[in-house]
Amino acid sequence: MEKVLEVSNLTRVFKEKNKQDFTAVSHVDFCLYEGECLGIIGESGSGKSTTVNMITRLIEPTDGTIILEGEDITHKKGKQLRNIYKKMQMVFQSPVESFDPRRTLGDGIAESLKNNGYSKKEASKAVERVLEKCGLDGSFALKYPHEVSGGQCQRAAIARALAITPSLLICDEATSALDVTIQKEIIELLRSLRENHDRKLSILFICHDLALVQDFCDRVIVMHDGVIVEQGKPDEIIKNPQNDYTKRLIDSVL
Amino acid sequence: MSTPTIRKQKVKRTSVKTRLIIFGTLAALLLIGSIFSSHLTPYDPYLQDLSNAKAAPSMEHLLGTDRYGRDMLSRVIIGSRTSIYSTLLLVAIITAFGTAVGVICGWFGKWIDVILMRISDMFLAFPGLVFALAVAGVLGGGLQNAIIALAAISWPKYARIARSQTLAQKETVYLRAAKLSGSSTVKIIFKHILPNIIGPILVTSMLDIGTMMMELAGLSFLGLGAKPPTAEWGSMMSDTRSLITIVPWVTLAPGIAIFISVMIFNLLGDTIRDYADPKNREVRG
Ligand SMILES: Nc1ncnc2c1ncn2[C@@H]1O[C@H](COP(=O)(O)OP(=O)(O)OP(=O)(O)O)[C@@H](O)[C@H]1O
Ligand SMILES: [Mg+2]
Repeated sequence: MEKVLEVSNLTRVFKEKNKQDFTAVSHVDFCLYEGECLGIIGESGSGKSTTVNMITRLIEPTDGTIILEGEDITHKKGKQLRNIYKKMQMVFQSPVESFDPRRTLGDGIAESLKNNGYSKKEASKAVERVLEKCGLDGSFALKYPHEVSGGQCQRAAIARALAITPSLLICDEATSALDVTIQKEIIELLRSLRENHDRKLSILFICHDLALVQDFCDRVIVMHDGVIVEQGKPDEIIKNPQNDYTKRLIDSVL
Repeated sequence: MSTPTIRKQKVKRTSVKTRLIIFGTLAALLLIGSIFSSHLTPYDPYLQDLSNAKAAPSMEHLLGTDRYGRDMLSRVIIGSRTSIYSTLLLVAIITAFGTAVGVICGWFGKWIDVILMRISDMFLAFPGLVFALAVAGVLGGGLQNAIIALAAISWPKYARIARSQTLAQKETVYLRAAKLSGSSTVKIIFKHILPNIIGPILVTSMLDIGTMMMELAGLSFLGLGAKPPTAEWGSMMSDTRSLITIVPWVTLAPGIAIFISVMIFNLLGDTIRDYADPKNREVRG
């Protein structure tokens, strides 16, 4: 199987004045195969967000390499960096805050399309299509983020991420801020999108919820204090955890 | 307990809106008046008539005449153009320049931020009048140089506001989303940052119009701004101040014009600030 994403030796050290350097992520290696859904779990502060923010290049890695579809993107800058966002998109934890309060959801979804040469007309048609694909009426394009519910907004955020048909979708606790029934709906949506995406969609799925990971992910990574402590199939890890930390994590849920 | 609160908010809401309409209209009238000032003057404001000098206010000359027999009402009306235009120009310059510098500092950070902010501190540290005197000394007097001097010492305030607002914007999730949409820095600044920070900046500009009008008039009064015979309220007051005991109207008329305009713009600025206040916004629904 083809590797969509390959991360090796990824490290991030936060340097702060008058404080000791803090290593949030340390020597992280993993890869993600085409069409796969890889979960990352770990307690708060274990470095999950830092890891994916390095992958999306929203924060700079201190060390390591990130290879996306065979291309080293660790040091891409400017226009080249903007181009990689055609292949990689992200859904954030707080749906409402992830849209500019002064612009409509449609504007937000169309932004990536317009940056990639769509005309206004083409973009608005594509926005309608992708909204419908994500279970929202086309009229949602004209709404502002504060005018819709959290679940609807997260659907719009997923629509935004998928509008330019990326091959990698990163969800950083995309369901954590939603209530349980809406969480289920969003997971079902992601599942159906995986099946009906125009190209093979791989997902990097960060989550606190072990059950959700077990249900949705093909493989899972357990992180603790910035290091990967265990990885494998969710069922196997839950049944037979090798690492002490993982055992405690599972015990605390069950 | 809750009912009185709601009532109170309701009263406040209408009053903010009413104030906005009243002061907005007055300011608009002032602006329109100054645009068409040359058509509104009953007499030629520069026409001298020594036989009718220092005439007291009468039906013919509502505000009397000055020592050259020029009609004061006409001079006050035509003076609005210089006074209001130069003030608006000054405020527009400092708003645009300060905002641009602040956004650049906030967005790029690092050494650009350090250098530009040190420079702005330097300008902030100058006492305004001393700086204006220095500029007048180097470049000579005149309205243009007065505007330059005041602009130089006034833009840092805007740079500071814009910088801190930009820093706050940089932390938002939607800006990260915009980056992931492949938007360039220029697009992000113009489409996301500026629309979100311009509110508080414009409120500051509105509040500054009155202050700047006073300062410009003050510099003109000291002979560092508009020069006679150009009709400008500050220089008109200065020009005629020796006559204040004999013919008070020639000094008072431009003074009152300054007072009224400054009041209108200050009240409008206050109202816009109240209107932009999120606490009032909630009530607005
Ligand atoms: N900009 C920063 N400066 C200093 N330390 C930081 C910074 N960003 C993150 N950290 C630290 O790095 C560690 C990992 O943070 P991160 O956000 O990656 O955790 P997380 O696993 O995503 O947690 P959560 O589940 O709460 O989202 C935390 O201890 C955090 O305090
Ligand atoms: Mg996180």
